[in-house]
Amino acid sequence: MARILIIAEQRNGKLSEATLELCKAAKAVAEGLGATPAAAVFYKDDSIAKEVAKYIPEVFSVVDAKLENYSADGFAQAAKAVVESQDVKGVLIAHTYDGIDLAAKVAMVLGAGIVSNCNKVAATGGQLVFTRNTYNGKIQEERTIKTDKFVATFEKGAFDKEAAGGAGAVTAVSASIGDIRTKFKGFVETQAGSVDISQAKIIVAGGRGTKEKDKYNDVIVNLAKKLGGEYAASRPVVDAGWTDAARQVGQSGKTVTPLLYLAAGISGSIQHVAGMKGSQCIVAVNKDPEAPIFNIATYGIVGDLFEVIPGIMEALG
Amino acid sequence: MKIVVCVKEVPDMESKFKLVDNKVDESQIAFKMNDFDQYAVEAALQLKEKHGGEVIIVSSGPERSQKQVRQAFAMGADWGIQVTDPAVDSGDTFVIASALYNAIKSVGDVDLVLTGVQAEDDQSGVTCPMIADFMGVPHCTNVVKLEAAGDKELAINRELEGGLNEQLGISLPCVLSVQSGINQPRYPTLPGIMKAKKKRLDVKKAADLGLTAVGTEGSKTSFIKRFFPVSEHKAEIIEGDPKSAAKKLVDKLKNEAKVI
Ligand SMILES: Cc1cc2nc3c(=O)[nH]c(=O)nc-3n(C[C@H](O)[C@H](O)[C@H](O)COP(=O)(O)OP(=O)(O)OC[C@H]3O[C@@H](n4cnc5c(N)ncnc54)[C@H](O)[C@@H]3O)c2cc1C
Ligand SMILES: Nc1ncnc2c1ncn2[C@@H]1O[C@H](COP(=O)(O)O)[C@@H](O)[C@H]1O
Repeated sequence: MARILIIAEQRNGKLSEATLELCKAAKAVAEGLGATPAAAVFYKDDSIAKEVAKYIPEVFSVVDAKLENYSADGFAQAAKAVVESQDVKGVLIAHTYDGIDLAAKVAMVLGAGIVSNCNKVAATGGQLVFTRNTYNGKIQEERTIKTDKFVATFEKGAFDKEAAGGAGAVTAVSASIGDIRTKFKGFVETQAGSVDISQAKIIVAGGRGTKEKDKYNDVIVNLAKKLGGEYAASRPVVDAGWTDAARQVGQSGKTVTPLLYLAAGISGSIQHVAGMKGSQCIVAVNKDPEAPIFNIATYGIVGDLFEVIPGIMEALG
Repeated sequence: MKIVVCVKEVPDMESKFKLVDNKVDESQIAFKMNDFDQYAVEAALQLKEKHGGEVIIVSSGPERSQKQVRQAFAMGADWGIQVTDPAVDSGDTFVIASALYNAIKSVGDVDLVLTGVQAEDDQSGVTCPMIADFMGVPHCTNVVKLEAAGDKELAINRELEGGLNEQLGISLPCVLSVQSGINQPRYPTLPGIMKAKKKRLDVKKAADLGLTAVGTEGSKTSFIKRFFPVSEHKAEIIEGDPKSAAKKLVDKLKNEAKVI
């Protein structure tokens, strides 16, 4: 039977959560197509393959010292070896940093079509229809694949995490891993700062809608102080240098879970939401009633933040 | 260093979006250069200023989008190629990447290709690895630091989750996707804008670039439809003028949600 293959992701030997979501995705897709779910694990030994086998019935393990750290070249060659030897119909990859780096390369190497950044997939009459986020989450798009094999990436949270179950079979697949043209030198931490916003009970976050540094300070920082909380920001605010990188919330910043998260002038992109959706109470202040942030907020005010925030300050007395 | 930067025109995301026949109604939309591509243009200009060379803009889009290429010229890019062919633009990301690749190939002896990490409209994030594979050279995505390390090598940082970076060496030629925050893109100066008008911009069709499979025929995926998302959860919208809405909100936070 044809296989739907996920490519597992690890960092420093630790399996990523996205991989467990992919296991769930693989089962759903395989069921829709009458195929079987499987995983490919590329690492320096088979320790991670054994771990993945708790979540999926069949695991193909490519072991090579060159695969200790992720590289597009190494992983694409390993993926090709598994796909071509194991009757693989589709390859599922997480839409994470490593996944984005790898997926289109794998598609090219296989001559397969790719749909990236999907949040849903449905099988109708043997055909898969993928739904993906476009226009910063404002519009959804459906696509199908024309090629015989396919590659798809799924955004974080598109599927629940698969729970550990039985013990799947681990099969070694041999692949000769050739030249790796990117030379790995190490990891560095870039957001170490004086403040740790992840512990705050109240967070007031400002986005591009706060317009400029002085105004950001004026509305966001002051309201945070008044509420006895911390101030934070979306990425564009940090990129522009209005506040420190240590205060950035999102996929490439901090993950926070305060009691109250007030987002002003933030549209609610998937990458921002990834870092704050676990907050207990979310307030959105945005002049655009269609901003995606209203889809996850508890309370919303549609309006100009430069009028609403002073109003909140006044009401707080 | 001969550097190509891929620049895409995208809608301003604060525009009012309407769908007509599954397409975004463009009459209601303001267009701009993809944000991430501005950082890529700036990164290329900084490399040129330090090491000499040439910055060439490659773009695919309707005639209107030449404005964004001229914007890159006004920032300081030297010249460009604009692929303007509906048969290309109606294709999927694979067709677009092939067209960009063919345009890059026509430039000859390119050392470095820069793209943005993703287009704000289609949010695919596939173009950089695709172009690299067409060229037969290595790639790296989400680059947040970039400097020359000797003649034929770059030292780069690839962004990872939660503030972690991976440090890499990569040899030229290569293709990199540039992440926001890597630099502060410059604003065009008035003399820059004047000069931009006279810079060379070659307008090409697919056939001029030797590209045969375009449109739906060349695509590896098919478009089905577009729609506005229906969220199962919607915020409780607090109505009223800003002042009274703010007052109601504070009351709810105190007495209903009990979080302040
Ligand atoms: C790989 C990757 C990683 C990323 N990581 C992160 C991350 O960790 N964190 C993050 O935040 N982003 C991240 N991003 C960027 C993300 O895609 C968005 O670009 C970003 O979150 C947008 O920030 P924003 O909402 O502040 O700006 P915009 O999307 O520009 O939204 C501004 C909002 O302000 C509103 N507004 C404007 N003026 C006013 C006003 N006067 N009053 C009220 N509202 C107003 C507008 O209606 C709009 O909704 C990442 C992107 C990529 C590709
Ligand atoms: N039509 C286009 N013209 C020029 N560059 C493009 C085009 N489409 C994509 N790109 C480049 O590829 C990057 C990533 O786009 P995507 O892979 O579509 O998300 C963009 O930031 C651009 O640099």
